Amino acid sequence: MRLNRRMLRPLDGGRLHPAVDALVDQMEQGEIDRRAFLRTVSWLGVSVPSATAMLGLSACAPATTVGAKDRLRFVCAVQQITDPALTTWVEASNLYRNCLEYLTEVDADNITRPYLAESWTPSEDLRTWRFRLRPGVRWSNGDVFNVDDVAFNVRRWLDPNSQSVNRTSFAAIRDFERLDDYGFALHLSRPVCSLPEQLYAFTCPMLHRRFEEEGGDWPKNPVGTGPFSLVDYRVGLSAKFRRRDGYWGPPARVQEIDYVDLGPDVATHVAALAAGQVDVLYRVTIAEIDLVRRLPHVRLLTSQAAQTVVMRMQPAHKPFDDLRVRQAVLAAADNAAMLRFAYRGLGVLGENTHVAPVQPDYAALPPPQRDVARARRLLIEAGYPEGLDLTLTLGNTQGRWEQDTAQVLQQNCAEAGIRIKLNVIPPAEYWSVWDKTPFGLTYWSHRPLGVMVYDLAYRTGSVWNESKFADPAFDQALDAALAVIDPRARALEMKRAEALLRDQAIFVQPYWPQKFTAVSEHVIGHRAHPSDYFRMDRVGLA
Amino acid sequence: MALTMAAVSLLVFLVLELNVEGVATKVLGQFSTAGQRHAWLLQHGYFDPLPLRYGRWVLDFVTGRWGLSTYYHADVLQLVTPRLAASGLLMGVALLVIVPLALGLGVLAGMREGSPLDRGVSVLAIVTTSFPEFATAVFLSAIFVFWLGWLPGVSTLAGGATLKEFVLPVAVLALSSTGYIARMTRASMAEAMGQPYVRTALLKGASLRRIVFGHALRNALGAPVTVIMLQIPWLLSGVIVVEVFFAYPGFGTLLYQAAVNSDVYLIEACAMVGVIAVVASQVLSDLINAWLDPRLLAAARHGPVVAAPAVDLSAPERRVAGL
Repeated sequence: MRLNRRMLRPLDGGRLHPAVDALVDQMEQGEIDRRAFLRTVSWLGVSVPSATAMLGLSACAPATTVGAKDRLRFVCAVQQITDPALTTWVEASNLYRNCLEYLTEVDADNITRPYLAESWTPSEDLRTWRFRLRPGVRWSNGDVFNVDDVAFNVRRWLDPNSQSVNRTSFAAIRDFERLDDYGFALHLSRPVCSLPEQLYAFTCPMLHRRFEEEGGDWPKNPVGTGPFSLVDYRVGLSAKFRRRDGYWGPPARVQEIDYVDLGPDVATHVAALAAGQVDVLYRVTIAEIDLVRRLPHVRLLTSQAAQTVVMRMQPAHKPFDDLRVRQAVLAAADNAAMLRFAYRGLGVLGENTHVAPVQPDYAALPPPQRDVARARRLLIEAGYPEGLDLTLTLGNTQGRWEQDTAQVLQQNCAEAGIRIKLNVIPPAEYWSVWDKTPFGLTYWSHRPLGVMVYDLAYRTGSVWNESKFADPAFDQALDAALAVIDPRARALEMKRAEALLRDQAIFVQPYWPQKFTAVSEHVIGHRAHPSDYFRMDRVGLA
Repeated sequence: MALTMAAVSLLVFLVLELNVEGVATKVLGQFSTAGQRHAWLLQHGYFDPLPLRYGRWVLDFVTGRWGLSTYYHADVLQLVTPRLAASGLLMGVALLVIVPLALGLGVLAGMREGSPLDRGVSVLAIVTTSFPEFATAVFLSAIFVFWLGWLPGVSTLAGGATLKEFVLPVAVLALSSTGYIARMTRASMAEAMGQPYVRTALLKGASLRRIVFGHALRNALGAPVTVIMLQIPWLLSGVIVVEVFFAYPGFGTLLYQAAVNSDVYLIEACAMVGVIAVVASQVLSDLINAWLDPRLLAAARHGPVVAAPAVDLSAPERRVAGL
């Protein structure tokens, strides 16, 4: 396949990044697929429409017709929000995403597109990134959105006292440089190729430059650049958004969105959808999909995301300080059985690495082998000939299948003489102990890249490093992986990091469950997003 | 009565406020430091002697200073009032269905003990009460929401209170408690119908209608009234299952959320409101019983002497003695 590389246009109208050439070569020789190609060139500041045109694909423009009905009703937990950079629940971000916008956007196909930043240009060594902001964007309070707002946000993420997870995910940023009113540069201490993609993490919305001066409580002072404005916010009950006049982009397709919090029981949500009381559900769990499939006038949306559960151990606590104990748990675990019995086989088998085959930097390691005899041997070596008693804490934060998974592990481990007691606590309570409990089952939502998960969850000292895993060799391998543009070369670096992590036997990561949600047949333009980041201005009602 | 309330309030206080470190963690959040917690505890007088703290706590409750909810970030009193009103509404509608239905069925069954009608009512009552609410809720919603599509699946009262949204929650509550009250009424009615004065009236040629409504009913209502009044606190807290299932924005869901999110001041307020509801409904039940049976009032005034012979007359030893 010959490609006309002159069709490629950089977003800023300047020169193409030198690495783009090599990527086109790989594409021509069929070494990487279209998706990997589009994703990678999009990070490097190439306009995605020009790249799709070069590949001979038709770019599908989002429909802009305004639907007939004008009020959409969405079932979603309405949680307390104060500072969006501190949120730990994706649900909360789906509320403020209606008002607050990001520098970049990662769409449902994992391709990074311009948003508040209209272009970005990485230096050849990937250590300096120049961004240009979209002109003509106004805050809902009338102020002009410009580089001062970005400076305020980036500096507060990186503040040493920041409690935000952004402090870790952007630890590579050394300096923020203001170029002019609409241009800035980020200087990095090490090369990072996926920076534009990371700017769409749910904790990175652009807040107004006076957010802190004006109280630092977003629902009380909901200033934003987005297509909707917040009208009413009642924690635990409801939230109401209305289409905002003067929005810079295409106007939202509905006039109002009502979010209703129907409590934690998804069966109740399905009942509301069946009765036509709501239009969109945030999530449907494995327990309800048979029911949803049978409902008339309802569509089930399915996607395979890189979401998972990890049953992780903290090496700082006895008996997990002994590598052999952790290895014994992994050897006894039967990942296939967990997927089959707890999730009815609807997903992809995990390999105890926390990198998913759908992630472009996934590298396959030899699949883990279940070996109960080895588990017993390891226990004896570790000084537990009579077996071992453990307590696994979990909160069913995503539904009952978490507990079902833990019960299968409990059975698996019992065969090896490891007696696991399950400590099931309410979901909200779990999130207050998730990084403290020595042995816990934690749900991890989808991230576009394996390196992003590793950076958040396993880098030494990361805020979300729940197992307190610390290994300089692993950190090094991760840094190397973050610096590589070539998707194949990056997978090779990742293979090293994956192996280092798995050898330390920090967690059992049994499978990658599919994701389900349901909408009424009247809903148009709603797509399942692997991260559950929904852009509601594109959704309408027919 | 006041003693009950004092005892329960002390219990609530001790359970939830004895561990001051826990209170501080719940209020300030898991990310707070030990220093912050200590300063907060000092500032809010948590290191004062226990009796003083308890006294202050009770005073705060009585004067309506119920504190700030940690989960909702709102004044607890302002949170509880609309929820209480919503639950009151649900309870009122439920009682309007339950009470006439239960009393009617109970009286019909109890009038002729052992008749086919009596047997039918009893079987129906036992079957319906034996289903727990969560099961009834699932069955009813499977039939009327998913299968027939006649009724709304959740009752959020988002567009104001509509009759349709009350049908399912009320039906679930009615199914689980009507049978119980009906059986109490039936037993009480059957006993009243076996009394000598009913036989006398019957021999004198009074109509059944007159016997039931003029003589037996009033005497038979004592026990059912007590049971109905006991249902009020049950409805207030026991509807949690129903309210959560139908996402009804009432006191039950509030209590549930408070417990799930360990929202300490909200739990305290809800517990105290629950206690007040129990005590108040018992007072009301005593008053109604006194009105139904003036002998109780007289007994309270002059001691039990007046009422005693009426009971003793039927005692077997007196019968033997020739009375």
